[in-house]
Amino acid sequence: MSQPSDTPNLADRMPFWLMALTGIGLTLWVLAAAFPFFWMTLISFRLPVDAFSVPPKLIAPFTTEHYWQLWVGDRFWLKFLNSTIITVGVLVISLTIGCLAAYALARYGGALGFWLLLMALIFRALPHVTLLPSYKFAFFELGLWNRYETLIVILVAINQPFTIWMLRSFFMNIPKELDEAAQVDGCSRIQAFVKVILPVMWPGIITTGLFSFLLAYNDFLISSQMMNADKMTMTSALSAYMNADDDAFKLMQGVAGAVSITAPLVVLVLFFQKQLVSGLTQGAVKG
Amino acid sequence: MPFRTFLGFVLPSVVAMLMLIALPLAGVVYLSLWNSYTKTSFVETTVRTPVGTRVERRPVAELDAAGNPVIVREWYGTRNFETVLGTANLAEAWERDRTVASGGQPASAWQRFKALFRDVTNVKFWGALEFTLLYTAVTTPIILVLGFLIAMGVNSVVRELKGVLIFASLLPFIVTPVVGSLSIKWLFLDNAIITVWLEQLGFGKIYFMQNAFTTRLLIILVGIWKATPFVFIVLYAGLQTVPSETREAAIIDGANRWQTIRHVIIPHLMPLFVFVTLIHLMDAYRVFEPILVFSGGQGADSLQHLTYKILSDEQNFHKASAAALLMVLGIVVLLIPLIVKTYKDQRRAFA
Repeated sequence: MSQPSDTPNLADRMPFWLMALTGIGLTLWVLAAAFPFFWMTLISFRLPVDAFSVPPKLIAPFTTEHYWQLWVGDRFWLKFLNSTIITVGVLVISLTIGCLAAYALARYGGALGFWLLLMALIFRALPHVTLLPSYKFAFFELGLWNRYETLIVILVAINQPFTIWMLRSFFMNIPKELDEAAQVDGCSRIQAFVKVILPVMWPGIITTGLFSFLLAYNDFLISSQMMNADKMTMTSALSAYMNADDDAFKLMQGVAGAVSITAPLVVLVLFFQKQLVSGLTQGAVKG
Repeated sequence: MPFRTFLGFVLPSVVAMLMLIALPLAGVVYLSLWNSYTKTSFVETTVRTPVGTRVERRPVAELDAAGNPVIVREWYGTRNFETVLGTANLAEAWERDRTVASGGQPASAWQRFKALFRDVTNVKFWGALEFTLLYTAVTTPIILVLGFLIAMGVNSVVRELKGVLIFASLLPFIVTPVVGSLSIKWLFLDNAIITVWLEQLGFGKIYFMQNAFTTRLLIILVGIWKATPFVFIVLYAGLQTVPSETREAAIIDGANRWQTIRHVIIPHLMPLFVFVTLIHLMDAYRVFEPILVFSGGQGADSLQHLTYKILSDEQNFHKASAAALLMVLGIVVLLIPLIVKTYKDQRRAFA
């Protein structure tokens, strides 16, 4: 984000009514954005009668029963483990092969580079469900269904188009002279890349990594179709609690599960707010 | 960079994309043209019951020499596509006589159109297409306006507040889509807080999950809630790059606040408006999680959810492939402007 400017801002001369309106509008927006999370967290620590009481209560007896039942009784810790394996696997492989490709695409001027980028753009627009019939069919026939490796490899591939486009825009910002200087000093291409370019690329790698993490962690469509109950990630395991509107305790375990999934994401935003914002605007501001 | 080095660097990534995106795409085309089923034959068994014996015919999968079920593959041509599109139902709906309205009077042209529209959208694919387009058409203008207003608002508050506002706004955007949809659904269940508040405010008891209209409304609401932060963040970043000279010049020339926004700020942000619109069009076209959570396809369906359902419930790879390909057709139309733009930009960059 840019620095705050010292030049007189339009805000300085806002009439009172406009300031009031802005204040009200922004308050409403913050409420709308955050209230679902606040309320979900609040009721996850309540018995069903208090969670969905008429009239709604702000204060109610506290219980951790749903979390206990979910994490221990329904073995949600296993799903947490699965999520960890899948996201870490996707993150590491995706960034490794993505960095190599993006670096080359940023430095190579031939026509093939251009066509690869265009192909990636088209792939990026494909709805994920388009590829699912093939995945399900092929991996089942090959006997590779319901395996961590399979899901990791699929998510890596689906993630590649986005990863190389984003990383490439970061590599473009690193002057070519840096590679050349390293090569003059006797580095090979790959040495120059690892020893000189990568160290200055960390902000870009972190930002891209955040979005790769989100893709793998948030995926429901593919994970729920490629894995059996025991190997499901937390997100796809939620489907078991999703339509339990008539079983109050099951529903509350779903609420506890949703809060459990959200907690790491909130921590992520707290620590990486700046990188997330820069990632969102990366492609946009430069056009 | 020499060509060979380039190839070495991009190889792993390109192989991954070819094997797991391009090849499966070709596979979907192949699957959509075939049908397959397990070969079964009927076996007659005599069942003894207290009231006598009875002969039952049960289907049993035929086994080959190795003991595996025999799978029959059959060339289907365009039949999977016809099933998904419901061509038979469409033809029937088209032919149906609608000259008489329910009251007995002759039906007006509008009534006849409405009846035809209802019959067509009763075919699952066209119903899903209808809601996908409705969702896209309603959410796009709302998130653009809302995102712009929030960006202007946040830009005008003191610095200390900006961080909090951006933090809160990022939550709906980055949260797991299924969780985001559920968190809103749990506010609108029959005894949930907002339903109860609305009742107390005198709106009457609204059963949000029971009818198509309110379900659709909530799905659209979730879409707006989730996509507005993206528009806001991008436009807010754009606002930081409005040159202050231009803005001051406008003010010195006597432009009021509205004129400055209209003639300086909005034109400056125009490329960003185009960018977020294109991204949102693509995202809206593949809306999935809110449908899954709120309706499960009843009353409101989307193309991506329909395909998912065919795959997960019917377990029909072939029909699902046909639905998936029909969906890609729409993406191609959406993508053309973006591809043309990239083509021009990159050509310039590479030249």
